[in-house]
Amino acid sequence: MTTDLRRPAAPAVLALAILAATPVAAAPRYAVVPAQSSLGFSATQQGEKFTGAIRDFDARIEYAADDLRSSVLDVTIRVKSIDTKSPDRDQALVTADWFDVAKFPTATFRTVAIRATPSGPVGDADLTIKGRTKRIAFPFTWKAGAAGATLDAQVTLDRLDFGLGAGDWADESMVGRRVDVVVHLTLTPAAAPAPAAPIPPAAKSTAKPART
Amino acid sequence: MQVRSTPSRWGAVTRLFHWGMLLLIGAIIPVGIYMTDLPLGPAKLRVYALHKSIGLTLLGLAALRLLWRLGERRPALPPMPAWQGRAAAATHVLLYVLMFVIPLSGWLYNSAAGFPLQWFHLVNLPALAAADPGLKALAKEAHVTGVVTLIAIVALHAAAALKHHFVDHDGTLQAMLPRIGAGS
Repeated sequence: MTTDLRRPAAPAVLALAILAATPVAAAPRYAVVPAQSSLGFSATQQGEKFTGAIRDFDARIEYAADDLRSSVLDVTIRVKSIDTKSPDRDQALVTADWFDVAKFPTATFRTVAIRATPSGPVGDADLTIKGRTKRIAFPFTWKAGAAGATLDAQVTLDRLDFGLGAGDWADESMVGRRVDVVVHLTLTPAAAPAPAAPIPPAAKSTAKPART
Repeated sequence: MQVRSTPSRWGAVTRLFHWGMLLLIGAIIPVGIYMTDLPLGPAKLRVYALHKSIGLTLLGLAALRLLWRLGERRPALPPMPAWQGRAAAATHVLLYVLMFVIPLSGWLYNSAAGFPLQWFHLVNLPALAAADPGLKALAKEAHVTGVVTLIAIVALHAAAALKHHFVDHDGTLQAMLPRIGAGS
């Protein structure tokens, strides 16, 4: 939060400032169509690529190409739902050496700002995995369609940034450090705000008058 | 040194296959038993990787050995009752079958578990099947049963060889042993 010097430090003040500046409703909300969406990654084990799918996640998507200031991408995933098509590997991934699901059942992704760039929108997002937060750039493609929109993105992460497989597992010949995350979301306009998405209390209270 | 087999003696290539594979099998079985109880960690994966690499080596050697054997004239059997000759032939066929069944079932087990397969960090091999818990259990059963059968058959094979040597005093065992002393 403190990295962006142009903005007030306190999120509540920021929320109020945006509210005052934009009396109209925030960017339109979208709901994920689970059957046509996928959130996954690919990595390497012993020189061979494998893929993992995240089966259980919530997404709060509010997006308008012409109103990036009030657009937000906010995703919470249940780490336990990672499926790498190998029960043995999945069991290893939940242990303390990897995701430590007992202590950190969820991972979160939240944009703090979305910028327009010549190659498309780029989110500056806080990605929190295993309790460690890293600010990442998240370039994505937004395609509006008749029935809604699709969001596609691919980002590369270093698993050691999040303490995944630290210590003995850091050896790259066993498990590669590079992890490619691939996002494909099919979205429909949401009539009501998605109730499951965790929303900070300040945002919740300010959102109500904005919707009238 | 005689490369090919003669009517009285196995050739050097066959002897190398025989004793070399025995050595590798003698190493891979204890590794296989030891590795399953290791705590999950990179050390365990490394031991598994070694086991798989030796297993793949044995599979390749089995294929080469079979090809070599098919092109070889084998030494004549010493005089023995017909049932013993048949038992020896059946034992040898079973040993060849197990030389393929055990590594292939291990490969299948690895594939059905959804794990990668790499030969000494050099080459990655494809999966024989998609990840499948039912197939995994079946392949494991075949792998373990194959190894238990192999140990029993090898014991029988060795006992027969020793019986030929110490009881019958024929040249069956010597035909497979390296010649001690002056080589020829």
